[in-house]
Amino acid sequence: MLRCRCVLLVAAALLATGCAPRGDAVRAAADEPLYFGDVTPPGANVLRFNNGAEPETIDPGLATGQPDGRLVRTLFEGLTVPDPKTLEPLPGQAYRWERSADGLTYTFHLRPGLRWSDGTPLTARDFAWSWLRVLRPETGAKYGGLLHAVVGAEALNRGELKDETKVGLVAPDESTLVVRLARPTPYFLHLTSLPPCLPAPRHVVERWRERWTRPELIVSNGPFVLERWRQNDRFDLVRNRRYWDAGHVRLDRVVAYSIEDLNTATNLYKAGALDWNTSGYVPSPYIPYLRSYADFRSGPYQAVYFYSINVTRPPLGDVWVRRALNYALDRDAIARDLLKGTREPWGNLTPRGYPSYPRPPGLAHDPEKARACLARAGYPGGKGFRKIAILFNTSEDHRRIAEAIQAMWTKALGIPVELQNMEWGSYMQASTALQYDVARRSWIGDYLDPSTFLEIMRSGDGNNRAGWSDPRYDRLLRDAAVELDAAKRMKRLAEAESLLLADGPVIPIYHYSTAELVKPYVHGIYQNALDTHPIKDIWIDRSWRRGALRRTADDPGRAASR
Amino acid sequence: MTSFVLRRLLLFVPTLWVIATLTFFLVRLAPGGPFNAERDIPKAAREQLMRQYGLDRPLGEQYVTFLAHAVKLDFGPSYKFPTRQVREIIAEGFRVSAELGGWALLVAVLLGVPIGVIAALRQNSALDAAAMAAALAGVSVPNFVLGPLLVLVFSLTLYWLPPALWQGPESRVLPVLTLATAYVAYVARLTRAGMLEVLRQDFIRTARAKGLPERRVVFQHALKLGVLPVVSYLGPAAAGLIMGSLVVEQIFAVPGLGRYLVNGAFNRDYTLVMGVVLFYAGFLMALNLLVDLAYAWLDPRVELR
Repeated sequence: MLRCRCVLLVAAALLATGCAPRGDAVRAAADEPLYFGDVTPPGANVLRFNNGAEPETIDPGLATGQPDGRLVRTLFEGLTVPDPKTLEPLPGQAYRWERSADGLTYTFHLRPGLRWSDGTPLTARDFAWSWLRVLRPETGAKYGGLLHAVVGAEALNRGELKDETKVGLVAPDESTLVVRLARPTPYFLHLTSLPPCLPAPRHVVERWRERWTRPELIVSNGPFVLERWRQNDRFDLVRNRRYWDAGHVRLDRVVAYSIEDLNTATNLYKAGALDWNTSGYVPSPYIPYLRSYADFRSGPYQAVYFYSINVTRPPLGDVWVRRALNYALDRDAIARDLLKGTREPWGNLTPRGYPSYPRPPGLAHDPEKARACLARAGYPGGKGFRKIAILFNTSEDHRRIAEAIQAMWTKALGIPVELQNMEWGSYMQASTALQYDVARRSWIGDYLDPSTFLEIMRSGDGNNRAGWSDPRYDRLLRDAAVELDAAKRMKRLAEAESLLLADGPVIPIYHYSTAELVKPYVHGIYQNALDTHPIKDIWIDRSWRRGALRRTADDPGRAASR
Repeated sequence: MTSFVLRRLLLFVPTLWVIATLTFFLVRLAPGGPFNAERDIPKAAREQLMRQYGLDRPLGEQYVTFLAHAVKLDFGPSYKFPTRQVREIIAEGFRVSAELGGWALLVAVLLGVPIGVIAALRQNSALDAAAMAAALAGVSVPNFVLGPLLVLVFSLTLYWLPPALWQGPESRVLPVLTLATAYVAYVARLTRAGMLEVLRQDFIRTARAKGLPERRVVFQHALKLGVLPVVSYLGPAAAGLIMGSLVVEQIFAVPGLGRYLVNGAFNRDYTLVMGVVLFYAGFLMALNLLVDLAYAWLDPRVELR
């Protein structure tokens, strides 16, 4: 009987609150900023954050995804570490380095007395071995391309070079690593903190093989070590007492949850179970609403959403057709109306954030010009134009954008456009095999340099996926790669981008933004273009308005009166 | 009896073989492969991975190799999570799914049966109408609506229970309730119908006529027969609860097995898909066998042949 009544009560409660407004804000006083949910700091010196989808691996040599990278870069440390604000390379395992005048040789000096977390000394040879491991085809590393600037690296990675001593990696003594580059790579130091350049413990990897990253076996060299892992749930990291800078690590423990669902992650943040909900895990419909909260942070992210045109399929091989499609697209309408201002309309392939890059003017909306281009291609008013399809992978946002673009093209150009939705695997296959007309794509940069975007459109690059090829473009990129003068190099890259935009194999649509929730008592997380936040620099202020906010039981006045 | 069980177990083999074969060729018919990624993988690395997993061999040979290993319950490493064996992923995920499903089953029975009994005893009263209306609502509200509603009320408004994650007893409450509600409702309706039928029968009238207290009439005579439909429903319910918790696992970030079935297919993680599908198939068949045995045990009229 009692049970029965309980069920009815629950049902009634559900009905009563089902339509209550979402989100009760927490504010201690009228003049204080508004926070999203519970702002009581955790009871211990621990950072609990959502790391996103379950990492595929935490082997630094094999890691590719962002969740993987975030953990790997907390467990391992490279020659350099990124500055949490500017991302500039700071000394990490190397305390200093020299660059030769021609920009082709880097000599790194490791800190004395470095050790792995099991006490084994860490030497320059560990770095050389780890980099070679990533490059060896047998390893099956997917990210070896980041090291291709090193002499012989590309040939080794492609299986064309067998003699590893021909690769420009030498450790003349325990604490010195000499890296010879095939071409001056101004952003090379930035690469040395990325996962493929982090050291892997040879003695552990060779002994345990693919099992070496398990919590009971793993040995690392970063500020934290892995204590526990539960699949699809969480990683528990604790301080590495053998880390060279252990004194400056401020957190006792880090809990990285693997929560894939955006709503779930945001609910946990609101309830105070997460201190940080990382970018990409705030549902986009919430963003306009969250903007009024002081713990919501947003800023430009180095990634661009664009459409790729398959130039091998007529009539898309005609540059005038591609220009017509480009000019007919109203980016402002998509960013402003459809995405509610959560994204910035963008007409370039390269994103913002490179101060010395003279970015060419982006493509703009011009329906008149679009119609003129289409007429010039031989389809005045869209007459005789075959039906083209927009390919996208399953996602509500992709669909809405594709529908808007379908309407724009049909209206401005009078051409028939259909939508083609595929699940991820089929979409990847279709776009890689050039079995599409127009496909949704996006690209996230690896390091702060326009080349990380422009390189993908090089002839025959595996990421080109448009069938587009222009020898002038390839030459400009090649010239830029060997150019020693930084300004001239940037100019070459900008020329390449102008050429690309004029030829229109890609239709840039919007610039990505970061969107994350950080509790007010978490310090050391700074918005930056790569969404990279070294966890070593994060700390928690537990005395922040100690517990007095929500739970009346914690209210000292009330406790005293009892 | 023994020969029945043995025969059924022997039938598992061809059934599993058919399922394995169909799944093997179906997942490979899907376009794309496990190593298609947004960021293109260098050719040499891709070839190495294909070699490593034997994907460069002819399909027939891959099939034979797969069968030879599957017999030993060895499905190899997952393609998506290369450092983990499919077997380990299943073992760890299933433990959680089974716990979630087990609690939900318990709740379904412990709440559903009493509600059904009370509704049947007070047939056509306001209480009956309310209980059956609630049951109808429980059956009708999908768990992807109910879950977020419960979170909104109990986690984000009242701050009583955690909104997600699988840690500590309090974190079990909402996912178990969400998963169980539809089953509670269904069990209540089944119990009510069963009880009503039994209560109208002559032997109940006799029992009452000879002056047995109502409590004994209901619990000793009526309930035993009245819950039989529920017992026969427990088999499919257990299967549904343990294997069908995908949505609940997603909403509450429960690290169960459900999502691997779906994500494995999306990622073209051939080994993972094969392992999970065969595991589920075997599990379901074992459950059905148990249900058949339970029938025979509960109802002597059922003969196992």
